[in-house]
Amino acid sequence: MAGRASIPARNSALIAMIADELCPSVSYFVSCVLDTVVGFLMAGVGNVDIRRKTNYRIVDSKTTVRQIEDAFKEFSSRDDIAIILISQYVANMIRFLVDSYNKPVPAILEIPSKDHPYDPAHDSVLSRVKYLFSAESVSQR
Amino acid sequence: MAGAEEIEICEEGEESIEAEAKTERGDEKVLQFLDSLDGYLTLMDSLNSKLREGWFDLASARHSMGTLRINTTLLDLKDHSASSTLQVTDQEVESLGSVPRFALSKWASKGGSGKGKDFSTVADSEMGSPRSPQLRHRGFAEEKPSAKGETVLAADEDAEIKKERAKSLSVFGGLVSPKLRGAQLSFETALETLVEIANTRAAMLTAFERITKK
Repeated sequence: MAGRASIPARNSALIAMIADELCPSVSYFVSCVLDTVVGFLMAGVGNVDIRRKTNYRIVDSKTTVRQIEDAFKEFSSRDDIAIILISQYVANMIRFLVDSYNKPVPAILEIPSKDHPYDPAHDSVLSRVKYLFSAESVSQR
Repeated sequence: MAGAEEIEICEEGEESIEAEAKTERGDEKVLQFLDSLDGYLTLMDSLNSKLREGWFDLASARHSMGTLRINTTLLDLKDHSASSTLQVTDQEVESLGSVPRFALSKWASKGGSGKGKDFSTVADSEMGSPRSPQLRHRGFAEEKPSAKGETVLAADEDAEIKKERAKSLSVFGGLVSPKLRGAQLSFETALETLVEIANTRAAMLTAFERITKK
């Protein structure tokens, strides 16, 4: 992780979410909309400030890649957010941005969604460390 | 001559001991990294299961309560603070260096009487077992509610947490399906797992940096 400067202590930091619920067919769409976001909101992570800014973004079929990038940049630059949960499917849309992020806090965690199970091969953290297991790194030792 | 040879042999001996110690330290770093990597993958698998349970319960709740009662229009957009928050501290670990540590505080009411649960995988990895539940530090585990006053306090806190849970579900109406409550508990457990994952991720990346550092 970059940044050997000490990590500022934070109390009452938030968990942000960027989650998708893109479903293959219209008839299934209604039932699977927003389950991940709704679930975590039921667990009490939802925060809405007086300007009606939320700590979550819902990605649907109308959300553009630019909007997702803007949401990611906004959450990753906020001081009051400690963890960003992002569906791996959404993370793949902005893979370059996610992989180039290297701050320790907020921590980016890629989570599965209902229609897209977790794939370790695409996880940005595991991609960073798999270099240790590549043939090139072995030959250099 | 013999003296010079002896000195040479001693120096070679010291060098080989140093080299051996250096190799051992290197091996220790690699083992710590592999431990944290294994912990990370196991936790992700556990998260997957918990989320699937939550999604299934949510789908069951939607089936019994109806789609109109569980949809986006019900999301509370009035200003409110999160009931479950995190504390982030910078922890110095002897073998891993500076590692951010995340601790979850679930259902902390505005009165500040919420319980804090601290899932420290750094301490766990020092013991060599990132997944041993008995090594987790729980914020309220040190309390010994033997006195009546303390028992009443614990009961009050439980009541407070139940109130916060019910408030969170109130957006879906007064009477909700037990499956919805079950989904809430599944996602709460998933949240705890996510905090563990965040701690393990931090330890893993720090261990990786220490291995690749020249």
